[in-house]
Amino acid sequence: MRIFLYSLQTALKSIWHEKWINLLTVLSISIGLLILSSFIVITLNMDSVLQRWSKSFGLVAYLDEDLTKEAESTLEELLRQDEDILEVRYISKDRAAQEIQTILGDDARILEDFRENPLPSSFELRLKTELLDPELVRKKAEAIQEMSGIEEVQYGEKWLSSLSTIAQMMKMGTVFLGCAIFTAIIFITYSTIKIFFYRRKDEIETLKLLGATKSFIRLPFLLEGLFIGTTGGLISAFALFGLYSVVLVKIPELLPSVTILILSLPLEAYISVTLAGALMSFTGSFFAVGKIRY
Amino acid sequence: MIQFSDVTKYYDDDLVLKDLTFTVGKGELAFLTGPSGVGKTTLLKLIYAAELPDEGNIVVAGWDIRKLKQNTIPYLRRHVGIVFQDFRLLFNKTVFDNVALALRIHDMHPKEIREDVLEILKEVRLKHKAHIYPQHLSGGEQQRVVIARAMVSKPTVLLADEPTGNLDADTSLAITNLFREINARGTTVLIATHSASLYQGTGRRVFHLRDSNIEKETVG
Ligand SMILES: Nc1ncnc2c1ncn2[C@@H]1O[C@H](COP(=O)(O)OP(=O)(O)OP(=O)(O)O)[C@@H](O)[C@H]1O
Ligand SMILES: [Mg+2]
Repeated sequence: MRIFLYSLQTALKSIWHEKWINLLTVLSISIGLLILSSFIVITLNMDSVLQRWSKSFGLVAYLDEDLTKEAESTLEELLRQDEDILEVRYISKDRAAQEIQTILGDDARILEDFRENPLPSSFELRLKTELLDPELVRKKAEAIQEMSGIEEVQYGEKWLSSLSTIAQMMKMGTVFLGCAIFTAIIFITYSTIKIFFYRRKDEIETLKLLGATKSFIRLPFLLEGLFIGTTGGLISAFALFGLYSVVLVKIPELLPSVTILILSLPLEAYISVTLAGALMSFTGSFFAVGKIRY
Repeated sequence: MIQFSDVTKYYDDDLVLKDLTFTVGKGELAFLTGPSGVGKTTLLKLIYAAELPDEGNIVVAGWDIRKLKQNTIPYLRRHVGIVFQDFRLLFNKTVFDNVALALRIHDMHPKEIREDVLEILKEVRLKHKAHIYPQHLSGGEQQRVVIARAMVSKPTVLLADEPTGNLDADTSLAITNLFREINARGTTVLIATHSASLYQGTGRRVFHLRDSNIEKETVG
Protein backbone atom coordinates (compact mmCIF):
# COMPACT_ATOMS: atom_id res chain seq x y z
CA MET A 1 0.00 0.00 0.00
CA ARG A 2 2.79 2.41 0.91
CA ILE A 3 4.62 1.22 -2.15
CA PHE A 4 1.53 2.01 -4.18
CA LEU A 5 1.35 5.49 -2.67
CA TYR A 6 5.03 6.07 -3.36
CA SER A 7 4.59 4.90 -6.96
CA LEU A 8 1.61 7.19 -7.32
CA GLN A 9 3.67 10.06 -6.01
CA THR A 10 6.48 9.23 -8.43
CA ALA A 11 3.99 9.02 -11.29
CA LEU A 12 2.39 12.35 -10.40
CA LYS A 13 5.79 14.01 -10.18
CA SER A 14 6.72 12.67 -13.58
CA ILE A 15 3.37 13.77 -15.02
CA TRP A 16 3.99 17.29 -13.76
CA HIS A 17 7.66 17.28 -14.68
CA GLU A 18 6.97 16.18 -18.26
CA LYS A 19 3.73 18.09 -18.57
CA TRP A 20 4.13 19.16 -22.19
CA ILE A 21 4.81 15.73 -23.61
CA ASN A 22 2.01 14.41 -21.44
CA LEU A 23 -0.39 17.11 -22.56
CA LEU A 24 0.40 16.35 -26.19
CA THR A 25 -0.17 12.66 -25.64
CA VAL A 26 -3.41 13.26 -23.76
CA LEU A 27 -4.72 15.54 -26.51
CA SER A 28 -3.79 13.09 -29.26
CA ILE A 29 -5.63 10.36 -27.42
CA SER A 30 -8.71 12.48 -26.85
CA ILE A 31 -8.83 13.58 -30.48
CA GLY A 32 -8.58 9.97 -31.60
CA LEU A 33 -11.30 8.88 -29.23
CA LEU A 34 -13.52 11.80 -30.19
CA ILE A 35 -13.27 10.93 -33.87
CA LEU A 36 -14.08 7.32 -33.12
CA SER A 37 -16.99 8.04 -30.82
CA SER A 38 -18.47 10.57 -33.24
CA PHE A 39 -18.30 7.93 -35.93
CA ILE A 40 -19.97 5.40 -33.68
CA VAL A 41 -22.74 7.86 -32.83
CA ILE A 42 -23.37 8.60 -36.51
CA THR A 43 -23.47 4.90 -37.33
CA LEU A 44 -25.85 4.17 -34.48
CA ASN A 45 -28.14 6.97 -35.58
CA MET A 46 -28.01 5.81 -39.17
CA ASP A 47 -28.90 2.37 -38.00
CA SER A 48 -31.84 3.53 -35.95
CA VAL A 49 -33.11 5.61 -38.83
CA LEU A 50 -32.81 2.62 -41.12
CA GLN A 51 -34.62 0.48 -38.61
CA ARG A 52 -37.44 2.96 -38.46
CA TRP A 53 -37.66 3.24 -42.20
CA SER A 54 -37.70 -0.45 -42.71
CA LYS A 55 -40.42 -0.84 -40.06
CA SER A 56 -42.74 1.27 -42.14
CA PHE A 57 -41.55 -0.45 -45.25
CA GLY A 58 -43.98 -2.67 -47.06
CA LEU A 59 -45.00 -4.39 -50.23
CA VAL A 60 -47.81 -3.30 -52.45
CA ALA A 61 -49.65 -6.06 -54.26
CA TYR A 62 -51.77 -4.71 -57.14
CA LEU A 63 -54.77 -6.79 -57.98
CA ASP A 64 -56.04 -7.97 -61.33
CA GLU A 65 -58.42 -5.48 -62.91
CA ASP A 66 -61.36 -7.86 -63.21
CA LEU A 67 -61.22 -9.50 -59.81
CA THR A 68 -64.58 -10.07 -58.12
CA LYS A 69 -65.32 -8.86 -54.61
CA GLU A 70 -65.38 -12.45 -53.40
CA ALA A 71 -62.04 -13.27 -54.97
CA GLU A 72 -60.59 -10.14 -53.38
CA SER A 73 -61.73 -11.14 -49.90
CA THR A 74 -60.49 -14.72 -50.27
CA LEU A 75 -57.15 -13.29 -51.31
CA GLU A 76 -57.20 -10.94 -48.32
CA GLU A 77 -58.02 -13.85 -46.04
CA LEU A 78 -55.16 -15.84 -47.54
CA LEU A 79 -52.70 -13.00 -46.97
CA ARG A 80 -53.87 -12.48 -43.41
CA GLN A 81 -53.16 -16.11 -42.68
CA ASP A 82 -49.58 -15.72 -43.87
CA GLU A 83 -47.39 -15.65 -40.79
CA ASP A 84 -44.77 -13.41 -42.39
CA ILE A 85 -47.24 -10.65 -42.95
CA LEU A 86 -48.03 -8.42 -40.01
CA GLU A 87 -50.63 -6.18 -41.51
CA VAL A 88 -52.81 -6.19 -44.55
CA ARG A 89 -54.51 -3.02 -45.71
CA TYR A 90 -56.97 -3.10 -48.54
CA ILE A 91 -56.95 -0.08 -50.80
CA SER A 92 -59.80 0.08 -53.20
CA LYS A 93 -59.67 1.78 -56.59
CA ASP A 94 -61.57 4.75 -55.20
CA ARG A 95 -59.41 5.10 -52.19
CA ALA A 96 -56.32 4.99 -54.39
CA ALA A 97 -57.75 7.76 -56.49
CA GLN A 98 -58.43 9.84 -53.39
CA GLU A 99 -54.96 9.35 -52.11
CA ILE A 100 -53.49 10.40 -55.42
CA GLN A 101 -55.72 13.44 -55.36
CA THR A 102 -54.47 14.53 -51.96
CA ILE A 103 -50.91 14.06 -53.09
CA LEU A 104 -51.25 15.83 -56.41
CA GLY A 105 -53.66 18.54 -55.30
CA ASP A 106 -54.69 20.66 -58.24
CA ASP A 107 -52.75 18.53 -60.63
CA ALA A 108 -55.19 15.75 -59.90
CA ARG A 109 -57.21 17.08 -62.80
CA ILE A 110 -55.25 14.80 -65.07
CA LEU A 111 -57.27 11.98 -63.57
CA GLU A 112 -60.44 13.57 -64.85
CA ASP A 113 -59.25 12.90 -68.37
CA PHE A 114 -59.88 9.23 -67.78
CA ARG A 115 -63.41 8.10 -68.21
CA GLU A 116 -62.85 5.35 -65.77
CA ASN A 117 -60.60 5.27 -62.70
CA PRO A 118 -57.36 3.77 -64.07
CA LEU A 119 -55.94 2.84 -60.71
CA PRO A 120 -56.07 -0.82 -59.62
CA SER A 121 -57.13 -1.96 -56.17
CA SER A 122 -54.29 -3.14 -54.04
CA PHE A 123 -53.16 -4.62 -50.74
CA GLU A 124 -50.51 -2.86 -48.71
CA LEU A 125 -48.59 -5.46 -46.79
CA ARG A 126 -46.31 -4.93 -43.84
CA LEU A 127 -43.76 -7.69 -43.27
CA LYS A 128 -42.35 -9.01 -40.05
CA THR A 129 -39.16 -7.22 -39.08
CA GLU A 130 -37.13 -10.41 -39.21
CA LEU A 131 -37.85 -10.51 -42.88
CA LEU A 132 -36.42 -7.09 -43.62
CA ASP A 133 -33.47 -8.31 -45.53
CA PRO A 134 -33.33 -7.43 -49.22
CA GLU A 135 -33.02 -11.05 -50.31
CA LEU A 136 -35.88 -12.31 -48.12
CA VAL A 137 -38.12 -9.47 -49.17
CA ARG A 138 -37.45 -10.30 -52.81
CA LYS A 139 -38.37 -13.97 -52.25
CA LYS A 140 -41.56 -13.03 -50.44
CA ALA A 141 -42.51 -10.63 -53.18
CA GLU A 142 -42.02 -13.35 -55.79
CA ALA A 143 -44.12 -15.77 -53.79
CA ILE A 144 -47.00 -13.31 -53.54
CA GLN A 145 -46.70 -12.51 -57.21
CA GLU A 146 -47.43 -16.18 -57.95
CA MET A 147 -50.79 -16.05 -56.17
CA SER A 148 -53.76 -15.89 -58.50
CA GLY A 149 -55.47 -12.56 -58.70
CA ILE A 150 -52.25 -10.61 -58.15
CA GLU A 151 -51.23 -8.51 -61.08
CA GLU A 152 -47.95 -7.15 -59.79
CA VAL A 153 -45.99 -6.78 -56.58
CA GLN A 154 -43.94 -3.68 -56.01
CA TYR A 155 -41.39 -3.07 -53.36
CA GLY A 156 -38.47 -0.70 -52.92
CA GLU A 157 -35.88 -3.29 -53.76
CA LYS A 158 -33.13 -0.87 -54.71
CA TRP A 159 -33.80 1.31 -51.73
CA LEU A 160 -33.80 -1.50 -49.30
CA SER A 161 -30.65 -3.12 -50.56
CA SER A 162 -28.65 0.07 -50.86
CA LEU A 163 -29.75 1.24 -47.42
CA SER A 164 -28.69 -1.97 -45.81
CA THR A 165 -25.43 -1.95 -47.77
CA ILE A 166 -24.73 1.55 -46.47
CA ALA A 167 -25.51 0.45 -42.94
CA GLN A 168 -23.23 -2.56 -43.31
CA MET A 169 -20.41 -0.44 -44.68
CA MET A 170 -20.78 2.12 -41.93
CA LYS A 171 -20.55 -0.65 -39.36
CA MET A 172 -17.50 -2.18 -40.97
CA GLY A 173 -15.92 1.24 -41.31
CA THR A 174 -16.50 1.88 -37.63
CA VAL A 175 -14.93 -1.40 -36.62
CA PHE A 176 -11.94 -0.69 -38.85
CA LEU A 177 -11.58 2.87 -37.53
CA GLY A 178 -11.92 1.56 -33.99
CA CYS A 179 -9.06 -0.89 -34.46
CA ALA A 180 -6.91 1.78 -36.10
CA ILE A 181 -7.51 4.34 -33.36
CA PHE A 182 -7.04 1.85 -30.54
CA THR A 183 -3.75 0.77 -32.07
CA ALA A 184 -2.75 4.40 -32.46
CA ILE A 185 -3.50 5.11 -28.79
CA ILE A 186 -1.45 2.10 -27.74
CA PHE A 187 1.46 3.32 -29.87
CA ILE A 188 1.24 6.91 -28.68
CA THR A 189 1.31 5.91 -25.02
CA TYR A 190 3.96 3.32 -25.76
CA SER A 191 6.35 5.89 -27.19
CA THR A 192 5.66 8.49 -24.51
CA ILE A 193 6.20 6.05 -21.66
CA LYS A 194 9.23 4.58 -23.45
CA ILE A 195 10.81 8.04 -23.48
CA PHE A 196 10.22 8.43 -19.75
CA PHE A 197 11.57 4.95 -19.16
CA TYR A 198 14.80 5.72 -21.02
CA ARG A 199 15.16 9.02 -19.24
CA ARG A 200 15.06 7.20 -15.93
CA LYS A 201 17.24 4.32 -17.03
CA ASP A 202 20.03 5.10 -14.54
CA GLU A 203 17.55 5.38 -11.74
CA ILE A 204 16.01 2.05 -12.71
CA GLU A 205 19.43 0.38 -12.76
CA THR A 206 20.12 1.71 -9.28
CA LEU A 207 16.71 0.64 -8.04
CA LYS A 208 17.37 -2.89 -9.29
CA LEU A 209 20.69 -2.98 -7.45
CA LEU A 210 19.08 -1.75 -4.27
CA GLY A 211 16.62 -4.64 -4.38
CA ALA A 212 13.49 -3.12 -5.88
CA THR A 213 11.00 -5.65 -7.21
CA LYS A 214 9.81 -5.57 -10.79
CA SER A 215 6.42 -4.28 -9.80
CA PHE A 216 8.00 -1.46 -7.81
CA ILE A 217 9.88 -0.42 -10.93
CA ARG A 218 6.92 -0.84 -13.26
CA LEU A 219 4.13 0.65 -11.22
CA PRO A 220 4.91 4.36 -11.65
CA PHE A 221 5.03 3.96 -15.43
CA LEU A 222 1.82 1.97 -15.54
CA LEU A 223 0.08 4.54 -13.35
CA GLU A 224 1.33 7.31 -15.57
CA GLY A 225 0.03 5.51 -18.65
CA LEU A 226 -3.27 4.93 -16.94
CA PHE A 227 -3.48 8.59 -16.01
CA ILE A 228 -2.71 9.72 -19.56
CA GLY A 229 -5.34 7.41 -21.03
CA THR A 230 -8.01 8.22 -18.50
CA THR A 231 -7.48 11.94 -18.90
CA GLY A 232 -7.57 11.60 -22.68
CA GLY A 233 -10.74 9.56 -22.40
CA LEU A 234 -12.40 12.03 -20.03
CA ILE A 235 -11.57 14.98 -22.26
CA SER A 236 -13.04 13.24 -25.28
CA ALA A 237 -16.11 12.22 -23.29
CA PHE A 238 -16.71 15.84 -22.32
CA ALA A 239 -16.05 17.02 -25.87
CA LEU A 240 -18.47 14.41 -27.17
CA PHE A 241 -21.10 15.55 -24.70
CA GLY A 242 -20.61 19.17 -25.74
CA LEU A 243 -20.66 18.38 -29.43
CA TYR A 244 -23.71 16.19 -29.07
CA SER A 245 -25.65 18.78 -27.11
CA VAL A 246 -24.91 21.39 -29.77
CA VAL A 247 -25.91 19.03 -32.57
CA LEU A 248 -29.13 18.07 -30.81
CA VAL A 249 -30.11 21.70 -30.57
CA LYS A 250 -28.80 22.86 -33.91
CA ILE A 251 -29.98 20.13 -36.29
CA PRO A 252 -33.71 20.74 -35.91
CA GLU A 253 -33.00 24.48 -36.10
CA LEU A 254 -30.98 24.31 -39.29
CA LEU A 255 -32.82 21.49 -40.99
CA PRO A 256 -36.38 21.52 -39.71
CA SER A 257 -37.45 19.12 -42.45
CA VAL A 258 -35.14 16.44 -41.14
CA THR A 259 -37.19 14.63 -38.62
CA ILE A 260 -34.45 12.20 -37.77
CA LEU A 261 -34.72 11.03 -34.25
CA ILE A 262 -31.28 11.28 -32.75
CA LEU A 263 -30.63 8.76 -30.04
CA SER A 264 -29.72 10.36 -26.78
CA LEU A 265 -26.36 9.07 -25.60
CA PRO A 266 -26.50 7.04 -22.41
CA LEU A 267 -24.06 7.66 -19.56
CA GLU A 268 -22.51 4.29 -20.37
CA ALA A 269 -21.32 5.68 -23.68
CA TYR A 270 -19.26 8.37 -21.94
CA ILE A 271 -17.93 5.89 -19.41
CA SER A 272 -16.96 3.51 -22.21
CA VAL A 273 -15.02 6.24 -24.00
CA THR A 274 -13.08 6.97 -20.82
CA LEU A 275 -12.48 3.31 -20.07
CA ALA A 276 -11.35 2.65 -23.64
CA GLY A 277 -8.76 5.40 -23.33
CA ALA A 278 -7.59 4.10 -19.97
CA LEU A 279 -7.34 0.50 -21.14
CA MET A 280 -5.49 1.27 -24.37
CA SER A 281 -2.98 3.54 -22.64
CA PHE A 282 -2.44 1.02 -19.90
CA THR A 283 -1.69 -1.59 -22.54
CA GLY A 284 0.70 0.79 -24.29
CA SER A 285 2.60 1.59 -21.11
CA PHE A 286 2.71 -2.08 -20.18
CA PHE A 287 4.49 -2.89 -23.43
CA ALA A 288 6.71 0.19 -23.08
CA VAL A 289 8.09 -0.94 -19.74
CA GLY A 290 8.57 -4.41 -21.14
CA LYS A 291 10.46 -7.20 -19.49
CA ILE A 292 12.66 -6.25 -16.57
CA ARG A 293 15.78 -8.33 -16.05
CA TYR A 294 18.20 -8.14 -13.19
CA MET B 1 28.04 -15.76 5.02
CA ILE B 2 29.85 -15.36 1.68
CA GLN B 3 31.13 -18.56 0.20
CA PHE B 4 32.91 -18.98 -3.17
CA SER B 5 33.77 -22.48 -4.40
CA ASP B 6 35.88 -22.85 -7.57
CA VAL B 7 34.34 -19.78 -9.12
CA THR B 8 35.40 -18.93 -12.65
CA LYS B 9 34.25 -15.79 -14.42
CA TYR B 10 34.80 -14.69 -18.00
CA TYR B 11 33.75 -11.51 -19.76
CA ASP B 12 33.20 -12.98 -23.21
CA ASP B 13 36.60 -14.58 -23.78
CA ASP B 14 38.51 -12.62 -21.15
CA LEU B 15 39.20 -14.58 -18.03
CA VAL B 16 38.80 -12.47 -14.88
CA LEU B 17 38.55 -14.98 -12.05
CA LYS B 18 39.71 -18.62 -12.14
CA ASP B 19 38.79 -21.34 -9.63
CA LEU B 20 38.37 -18.86 -6.84
CA THR B 21 37.60 -20.33 -3.44
CA PHE B 22 37.22 -18.35 -0.22
CA THR B 23 34.83 -17.75 2.63
CA VAL B 24 33.90 -14.71 4.66
CA GLY B 25 32.30 -15.81 7.89
CA LYS B 26 29.19 -14.45 9.55
CA GLY B 27 29.96 -11.20 11.36
CA GLU B 28 33.45 -10.97 9.88
CA LEU B 29 35.03 -7.83 8.46
CA ALA B 30 37.46 -8.66 5.65
CA PHE B 31 39.37 -6.79 2.94
CA LEU B 32 39.89 -7.50 -0.73
CA THR B 33 42.85 -5.89 -2.43
CA GLY B 34 44.83 -6.07 -5.64
CA PRO B 35 45.91 -3.98 -8.58
CA SER B 36 43.48 -2.06 -10.72
CA GLY B 37 41.62 -4.24 -13.21
CA VAL B 38 42.29 -7.48 -11.36
CA GLY B 39 38.62 -8.17 -10.76
CA LYS B 40 37.66 -6.80 -7.34
CA THR B 41 34.51 -5.13 -8.55
CA THR B 42 33.67 -8.23 -10.58
CA LEU B 43 33.98 -10.37 -7.48
CA LEU B 44 31.62 -8.10 -5.58
CA LYS B 45 29.15 -8.11 -8.49
CA LEU B 46 29.08 -11.90 -8.30
CA ILE B 47 27.99 -11.59 -4.68
CA TYR B 48 24.92 -9.48 -5.47
CA ALA B 49 24.12 -11.35 -8.69
CA ALA B 50 24.84 -8.46 -11.03
CA GLU B 51 27.12 -10.94 -12.79
CA LEU B 52 26.75 -14.68 -12.82
CA PRO B 53 29.68 -17.12 -12.49
CA ASP B 54 30.56 -19.29 -15.47
CA GLU B 55 31.65 -22.10 -13.20
CA GLY B 56 31.57 -22.85 -9.50
CA ASN B 57 29.14 -22.01 -6.74
CA ILE B 58 28.46 -18.92 -4.68
CA VAL B 59 26.34 -18.88 -1.54
CA VAL B 60 25.46 -15.54 0.04
CA ALA B 61 23.47 -15.34 3.28
CA GLY B 62 22.07 -18.76 2.52
CA TRP B 63 21.10 -17.97 -1.09
CA ASP B 64 22.63 -20.10 -3.81
CA ILE B 65 23.39 -17.50 -6.46
CA ARG B 66 23.25 -19.91 -9.39
CA LYS B 67 19.82 -21.15 -8.41
CA LEU B 68 18.31 -17.71 -7.95
CA LYS B 69 15.26 -16.94 -10.04
CA GLN B 70 14.84 -13.50 -11.57
CA ASN B 71 12.04 -12.80 -9.13
CA THR B 72 14.10 -13.61 -6.05
CA ILE B 73 17.16 -11.53 -6.94
CA PRO B 74 15.67 -8.37 -5.38
CA TYR B 75 15.17 -10.20 -2.09
CA LEU B 76 18.82 -11.28 -2.04
CA ARG B 77 19.88 -7.70 -2.75
CA ARG B 78 17.85 -6.39 0.16
CA HIS B 79 20.20 -8.34 2.39
CA VAL B 80 23.25 -6.85 0.72
CA GLY B 81 24.17 -3.18 1.13
CA ILE B 82 26.48 -1.93 -1.59
CA VAL B 83 28.84 1.03 -1.68
CA PHE B 84 29.32 1.30 -5.42
CA GLN B 85 32.69 2.33 -6.81
CA ASP B 86 30.86 4.61 -9.26
CA PHE B 87 28.44 5.86 -6.55
CA ARG B 88 25.23 5.51 -8.58
CA LEU B 89 23.67 8.53 -6.93
CA LEU B 90 20.58 10.01 -8.53
CA PHE B 91 21.19 13.62 -9.37
CA ASN B 92 17.54 14.55 -9.58
CA LYS B 93 16.96 13.58 -5.96
CA THR B 94 18.19 15.19 -2.79
CA VAL B 95 20.67 13.51 -0.47
CA PHE B 96 17.76 12.58 1.77
CA ASP B 97 15.77 11.01 -1.06
CA ASN B 98 18.80 9.16 -2.40
CA VAL B 99 19.31 7.48 0.93
CA ALA B 100 15.59 7.01 1.50
CA LEU B 101 15.29 5.14 -1.80
CA ALA B 102 16.91 2.09 -0.21
CA LEU B 103 14.04 2.00 2.30
CA ARG B 104 11.19 3.01 0.01
CA ILE B 105 11.50 -0.20 -1.94
CA HIS B 106 10.42 -1.90 1.26
CA ASP B 107 6.90 -1.46 2.53
CA MET B 108 8.03 0.91 5.23
CA HIS B 109 6.23 3.76 6.95
CA PRO B 110 7.37 7.21 5.76
CA LYS B 111 7.89 8.32 9.33
CA GLU B 112 10.23 5.42 10.07
CA ILE B 113 12.02 6.06 6.80
CA ARG B 114 12.55 9.66 7.82
CA GLU B 115 13.91 8.73 11.21
CA ASP B 116 16.28 6.07 9.89
CA VAL B 117 17.58 8.26 7.08
CA LEU B 118 18.27 11.23 9.33
CA GLU B 119 19.95 8.94 11.83
CA ILE B 120 22.33 7.46 9.28
CA LEU B 121 23.03 10.89 7.76
CA LYS B 122 24.04 12.03 11.19
CA GLU B 123 26.44 9.10 11.43
CA VAL B 124 28.16 10.06 8.17
CA ARG B 125 28.02 13.70 9.27
CA LEU B 126 25.82 14.88 6.43
CA LYS B 127 22.57 15.64 8.22
CA HIS B 128 22.92 19.33 7.46
CA LYS B 129 23.15 18.55 3.72
CA ALA B 130 20.03 16.37 3.60
CA HIS B 131 18.16 18.65 1.23
CA ILE B 132 21.00 19.34 -1.14
CA TYR B 133 21.35 17.67 -4.52
CA PRO B 134 24.39 15.38 -4.90
CA GLN B 135 25.97 17.41 -7.71
CA HIS B 136 26.51 20.22 -5.18
CA LEU B 137 28.47 17.95 -2.87
CA SER B 138 32.20 17.32 -2.84
CA GLY B 139 33.51 13.92 -3.92
CA GLY B 140 34.02 12.84 -0.35
CA GLU B 141 30.55 13.96 0.65
CA GLN B 142 29.04 12.04 -2.25
CA GLN B 143 30.99 9.01 -1.12
CA ARG B 144 29.48 9.31 2.32
CA VAL B 145 25.97 9.55 0.91
CA VAL B 146 26.59 6.27 -0.91
CA ILE B 147 27.80 4.69 2.30
CA ALA B 148 24.76 5.96 4.15
CA ARG B 149 22.46 4.52 1.48
CA ALA B 150 24.19 1.14 1.67
CA MET B 151 23.87 1.02 5.45
CA VAL B 152 20.46 2.52 6.06
CA SER B 153 18.54 -0.70 5.47
CA LYS B 154 20.73 -2.53 8.03
CA PRO B 155 21.80 -5.24 5.58
CA THR B 156 23.18 -8.63 6.59
CA VAL B 157 26.13 -8.15 4.28
CA LEU B 158 27.81 -4.87 3.44
CA LEU B 159 30.00 -4.64 0.35
CA ALA B 160 32.16 -1.55 -0.07
CA ASP B 161 33.97 -0.98 -3.35
CA GLU B 162 36.80 1.50 -2.84
CA PRO B 163 34.86 3.38 -0.17
CA THR B 164 37.63 5.82 0.72
CA GLY B 165 38.92 6.51 -2.76
CA ASN B 166 37.86 10.14 -2.52
CA LEU B 167 38.49 10.80 1.10
CA ASP B 168 41.32 12.45 3.02
CA ALA B 169 43.10 10.53 5.75
CA ASP B 170 40.92 11.88 8.57
CA THR B 171 37.62 11.17 6.86
CA SER B 172 38.92 7.79 5.75
CA LEU B 173 39.56 6.96 9.35
CA ALA B 174 36.10 8.10 10.36
CA ILE B 175 34.54 5.98 7.63
CA THR B 176 36.64 2.96 8.55
CA ASN B 177 35.45 3.36 12.10
CA LEU B 178 31.91 3.49 10.80
CA PHE B 179 32.39 0.15 9.03
CA ARG B 180 33.80 -1.30 12.22
CA GLU B 181 30.78 -0.12 14.16
CA ILE B 182 28.44 -1.62 11.61
CA ASN B 183 30.42 -4.81 11.80
CA ALA B 184 30.30 -4.78 15.58
CA ARG B 185 26.49 -4.76 15.32
CA GLY B 186 26.69 -8.05 13.45
CA THR B 187 26.87 -7.10 9.79
CA THR B 188 29.32 -9.03 7.64
CA VAL B 189 31.53 -6.50 5.83
CA LEU B 190 33.72 -6.96 2.76
CA ILE B 191 35.76 -3.95 1.64
CA ALA B 192 37.58 -3.81 -1.70
CA THR B 193 40.42 -1.31 -1.79
CA HIS B 194 43.84 -0.52 -3.27
CA SER B 195 44.96 1.39 -0.30
CA ALA B 196 46.95 -0.64 2.20
CA SER B 197 46.49 2.06 4.83
CA LEU B 198 42.86 1.08 5.10
CA TYR B 199 43.56 -2.43 6.36
CA GLN B 200 46.95 -2.09 7.98
CA GLY B 201 46.77 -2.51 11.69
CA THR B 202 43.17 -3.71 11.67
CA GLY B 203 43.99 -7.31 12.50
CA ARG B 204 41.46 -8.42 9.88
CA ARG B 205 41.87 -10.88 7.03
CA VAL B 206 42.97 -9.42 3.70
CA PHE B 207 42.55 -11.31 0.39
CA HIS B 208 45.14 -10.34 -2.20
CA LEU B 209 43.85 -10.82 -5.75
CA ARG B 210 46.35 -11.29 -8.56
CA ASP B 211 46.21 -13.07 -11.90
CA SER B 212 42.61 -14.21 -11.58
CA ASN B 213 43.00 -15.73 -8.16
CA ILE B 214 43.75 -15.10 -4.51
CA GLU B 215 47.51 -14.95 -4.46
CA LYS B 216 47.73 -14.81 -0.70
CA GLU B 217 45.74 -14.12 2.42
CA THR B 218 47.28 -11.91 5.10
CA VAL B 219 46.21 -10.31 8.32
CA GLY B 220 46.20 -6.53 8.21
N1 LIG C 1 31.05 -5.67 -18.11
C1 LIG C 1 32.31 -5.97 -18.51
N2 LIG C 1 32.52 -6.45 -19.74
C2 LIG C 1 33.77 -6.77 -20.14
N3 LIG C 1 34.85 -6.64 -19.40
C3 LIG C 1 34.71 -6.17 -18.16
C4 LIG C 1 33.43 -5.80 -17.66
N4 LIG C 1 33.57 -5.34 -16.39
C5 LIG C 1 34.89 -5.42 -16.12
N5 LIG C 1 35.59 -5.91 -17.17
C6 LIG C 1 37.00 -6.19 -17.21
O1 LIG C 1 37.28 -7.13 -16.20
C7 LIG C 1 38.48 -6.80 -15.52
C8 LIG C 1 38.23 -6.64 -14.05
O2 LIG C 1 37.47 -5.48 -13.84
P1 LIG C 1 37.07 -4.97 -12.39
O3 LIG C 1 36.22 -3.77 -12.56
O4 LIG C 1 36.49 -6.10 -11.65
O5 LIG C 1 38.47 -4.59 -11.80
P2 LIG C 1 38.82 -3.93 -10.37
O6 LIG C 1 39.71 -4.84 -9.69
O7 LIG C 1 37.57 -3.54 -9.70
O8 LIG C 1 39.61 -2.63 -10.84
P3 LIG C 1 39.67 -1.21 -10.09
O9 LIG C 1 40.55 -1.39 -8.91
O10 LIG C 1 40.29 -0.32 -11.10
O11 LIG C 1 38.29 -0.83 -9.75
C9 LIG C 1 39.01 -5.54 -16.19
O12 LIG C 1 39.98 -5.90 -17.12
C10 LIG C 1 37.79 -4.96 -16.87
O13 LIG C 1 38.19 -4.28 -18.04
MG1 LIG D 1 36.67 -1.83 -9.17
